[in-house]
Amino acid sequence: MFGSITTDMVLAILPEIALLVLIAVVFVTDLVVDEKRRGILAWTSIIGLLITMLLTAFFAQPGAEAETLWGGMLRHDWLAYVSKLIFLFGALITTVFTLNWDSVRFKGEFYVLLLTSTLGMTLMGASADLIMLFLSIETTSIPLYVLAGFLTDDDRSTEAGFKYLLFGAMTTAVMLYGFSLLYGFAGSTGLYEISAAIGAGQIPAAALAGAAVLVLVGFGFKVAMAPLHFWAPDVYEGAPTPITAFLSTASKAAGFVVLTRVMIAAFSSVQAEWQLMLAIAAVISMTLGNLVALSQTNIKRLLAYSSIAHAGYALLGVIAASELGAASVVYYFLVYVVTNMAAFGVVIVVSRVIGSDEIADYAGLSRRSPGLALVMLLAFLSLAGIPPLGGFIAKVLVFAAAVQAEFVWLAVIGVLNAIIGLYYYLIVLKVVYLTPGKDEQKALPTPRPQAVALVVSIVLLLLMGTVFAPWYQWALNSASALF
Amino acid sequence: MVPVSYYLALAAILFALGALGVLIRRNAIIIFMSIELMLNAANLLFVAFARSFESLDGQIYVFFVIAVAAAEVAVGLALIVTIFRTKHSIDIDELSSMKG
Amino acid sequence: MDFLLQPLNLVIFFPLLGVLALLFLKERESLARWVSLITALITFGISLWVLGLFDAANPDLQLTVVRDWIQVAGWNIRYAVGVDGLSILLVLLTTFLTPIAILSTWRAVEDRVRDFQLFFLLLEVGMLGVFLAQELFLFYIFWEFTLVPMYFLIGIWGGPKRMYAAIKFFLYTMAGSILMLLAILWLGINQGSFYLPDLIAIGGIPADIQYWLFIAFAAAFAIKVPMWPLHSWLPDAHVQAPTAGSVILAGVLLKMGTYGFLRFNLQLFPQTSVQLAPVMGVLAVIGIIYGAIVSYPQSDVKKLVAYSSISHLGFVVLGLFALNQQGISGAILQMVNHGISTGALFLIVGFIYERRHTREMDEFGGLWKVMPVYAVLTLIVALSSMGLPGLNGFVGEFTILLGAWGGGVANGPYGSYLFAGLAAVGVILAAVYMLFMFQKLFLGPVTNKKNEGLKDLSARELAILIPLLVLIFWIGLYPQPFFALIGPAVAKLTASFSGIAYLPIP
Repeated sequence: MFGSITTDMVLAILPEIALLVLIAVVFVTDLVVDEKRRGILAWTSIIGLLITMLLTAFFAQPGAEAETLWGGMLRHDWLAYVSKLIFLFGALITTVFTLNWDSVRFKGEFYVLLLTSTLGMTLMGASADLIMLFLSIETTSIPLYVLAGFLTDDDRSTEAGFKYLLFGAMTTAVMLYGFSLLYGFAGSTGLYEISAAIGAGQIPAAALAGAAVLVLVGFGFKVAMAPLHFWAPDVYEGAPTPITAFLSTASKAAGFVVLTRVMIAAFSSVQAEWQLMLAIAAVISMTLGNLVALSQTNIKRLLAYSSIAHAGYALLGVIAASELGAASVVYYFLVYVVTNMAAFGVVIVVSRVIGSDEIADYAGLSRRSPGLALVMLLAFLSLAGIPPLGGFIAKVLVFAAAVQAEFVWLAVIGVLNAIIGLYYYLIVLKVVYLTPGKDEQKALPTPRPQAVALVVSIVLLLLMGTVFAPWYQWALNSASALF
Repeated sequence: MVPVSYYLALAAILFALGALGVLIRRNAIIIFMSIELMLNAANLLFVAFARSFESLDGQIYVFFVIAVAAAEVAVGLALIVTIFRTKHSIDIDELSSMKG
Repeated sequence: MDFLLQPLNLVIFFPLLGVLALLFLKERESLARWVSLITALITFGISLWVLGLFDAANPDLQLTVVRDWIQVAGWNIRYAVGVDGLSILLVLLTTFLTPIAILSTWRAVEDRVRDFQLFFLLLEVGMLGVFLAQELFLFYIFWEFTLVPMYFLIGIWGGPKRMYAAIKFFLYTMAGSILMLLAILWLGINQGSFYLPDLIAIGGIPADIQYWLFIAFAAAFAIKVPMWPLHSWLPDAHVQAPTAGSVILAGVLLKMGTYGFLRFNLQLFPQTSVQLAPVMGVLAVIGIIYGAIVSYPQSDVKKLVAYSSISHLGFVVLGLFALNQQGISGAILQMVNHGISTGALFLIVGFIYERRHTREMDEFGGLWKVMPVYAVLTLIVALSSMGLPGLNGFVGEFTILLGAWGGGVANGPYGSYLFAGLAAVGVILAAVYMLFMFQKLFLGPVTNKKNEGLKDLSARELAILIPLLVLIFWIGLYPQPFFALIGPAVAKLTASFSGIAYLPIP
């Protein structure tokens, strides 16, 4: 089981190694540098994350065949590779958004926690074993609980952190119980061994379906799908906005990677059952997310409900349980992470100046800062699925996967929901562009680093909507690693 | 040797007790204890199965779970203390400053 | 570069050059108007060049550009544009109306001039793309893309209830078109191509599925047309939109719906088209009568013109689903006619609104004495709109009625005389509400003191209207060149219906 360590094995966990080194560097810097000069902590993280991304992109690329390494703990395949890049990108943009934010800028622990959580996500993307999965999910979640409650002088932030922790701990316990049952039934914790045991018919279907429900509770919490979405609006609203952005993008994407991998790899023999369960969850997520979003007045809450709805759309790809379906999920999250980062970026910049997250206070933004308004416009239209933006292609792909897998009724429900969704995105854009505001003449400046991050996001968003092939190839490679 | 099914039943009872506690009790500390109960139900299963398979894997996993649970509780207690400072209560129904 | 210099690509994407230029101007700069006008005029020039290259005798797609675009695993998406007799006139109509509409904004739009022109040129790109795309995916992208600029044109520069109107417009159209997206995906996945000529050649869609696909496409187009009972967004959008927006909305955007029926429903689903022709005929006739009846009591001139559009476009749909040579060619010509006359009517309403800032009929009366030139031009346009022989409206409506009378609808159980007869009632009603409006505005004594000092049309306003009037007379007196452009393509299309017998709906 523990043979000698090969270069391959090391390259497979290169992103994790790089992140660990970075965490150590930030830790030590925090200790040695005196308080006034701790601004370099954020920059250290940014540069470190950039280097990690480059190292990952060039050296950790898997071959055509998926491998299971490190004693069956980790999978080295395209899905892991692409998802790691997504998480690193999310962490990078999140760090950029904290740059001019004085309450955390000088605190080393903030960046250490953020990086640790990213480390957990990269492991989630690659986990091929239940125990590895459990550990990586907890490595992701526990720092996020702290980060959500990071602003100890803000009641809403601590409350958000605590609620997140309560829901998280409870659903993880349920999931772990499911894991222990699976271990008992299959005699192993390796996902692919479990899959083989299930395929051999060792396990009674009812017990398996029961275990699948328990496991789905844990994953459902991470992706914030209904009916496990209750935490999302409060946590999104209360948490510091950059953390909200991180939660709604990277953390959700990590949940989806795990969900797709486990459902398709381990539970393929009870596919019809979990498809039905997830279909119900998808319908509720989309409908409830969109309908409740209609009445929101706080932009972070609105984005929270919108993200519940988007979990529903992405579930269509998982439910299809086909190569196109898995590819569409990956594509969805490539686009969704970029789009939501842009949307939250605007929220962060605006709320830093006007000190409010109320949608009504966005009136006149198009005159105060045409650039921010344009970013908002493109991001929201992409969320609504209007061509030629990435969100359109992403929606087309998940709907196509559903149509191809003969879930036309789900696609129709999805399509109807897209119209409801469009309505509240338009309402926000209406306020931004059409409603006259109080301080129209006062310019609203965007700090340089944030501006760069927003421009990068928007360019990627347009690229994903027009130059489709390279990204889709990534998604397709990831999907074929599962089948 | 006690058959595995006994452990399964015991674990199920523990898990159900824990889940009920989470759903019914309003005191944050007691909710935490209930979550611990749920985790320990899973631990018990791991150990029992490991013994019946005559492998050490499951028993080792329990150590991981215990470590993680400890970390979780540490964070949880820290947050409870912060909340207690401002609200002077750890009743989770008091946590309702956000609505919508 | 070679790719961009293809005539059709040039005509679609040239306005983007203007957009780029506009981005370098300041927000209030009036130079923006000139940049945009010149861009639109050059685009018109390019479209005339396309017309020169166009071979009217050839019924097939011409000047096509087909490039692979997205060719990964199971997706066979191409970039394909082309023009044939079904679309050439609509392309010309678009490039012709755009500079006219831009010219009409010279005084009317003072706020955020640059942004207005920018959205207008973007809208032109979208519209031209819709008429030229021959690939379902590409078509859908252009189709949706037109919504965004129009949303802002109505939402920023519209009337008092502009936000409501803009959002209603967006949601209605999106609601229809997203169902079409599902149908497009079904076709692309199951037929292996999104390229229209391929799809027509492959055919063989089972009858029951064809039926649902037809409905999904028809939902998108019927909302856009708009056909009764899906019309309720139209009056709001029209009344709230700025004049130039109304001109383009009525003149071109609504044609995207009828063009969609023509290009996609009739060509992709000939079987279902024959079967559902009576249903579409009934809806069209209801639209004709309903639009006319509702127009009559309107007190707001713009609203009257808006409702009359529902009636006029009912004729177009009736002609299309007659499924014969006269019906379809009449419908295509009537699309152009409606673009010209209704566009002109909205401009005329705009002129008086700029002077008085009201459109209520009761505020006016006796304008003939104050503004004689304006009155005469309005009379001509109104007569054209109601279908007086010698003017363009007559040619279109008469050909459609001929088609409906002898049409393929006769294959159905409802008979054709009924459709033609009821539609003819619509013509009479049109005369009633148009003349009623004319009388209220222009005849009799000047009742309102505020109207006494109104100036007659300026040179710029004449320059806007005269090209439209030239076309009104040209099509009315000598429509042959226009029919010659349409004819061969329509003949090819109708041939595809010849073997299909009417069957009851499954």
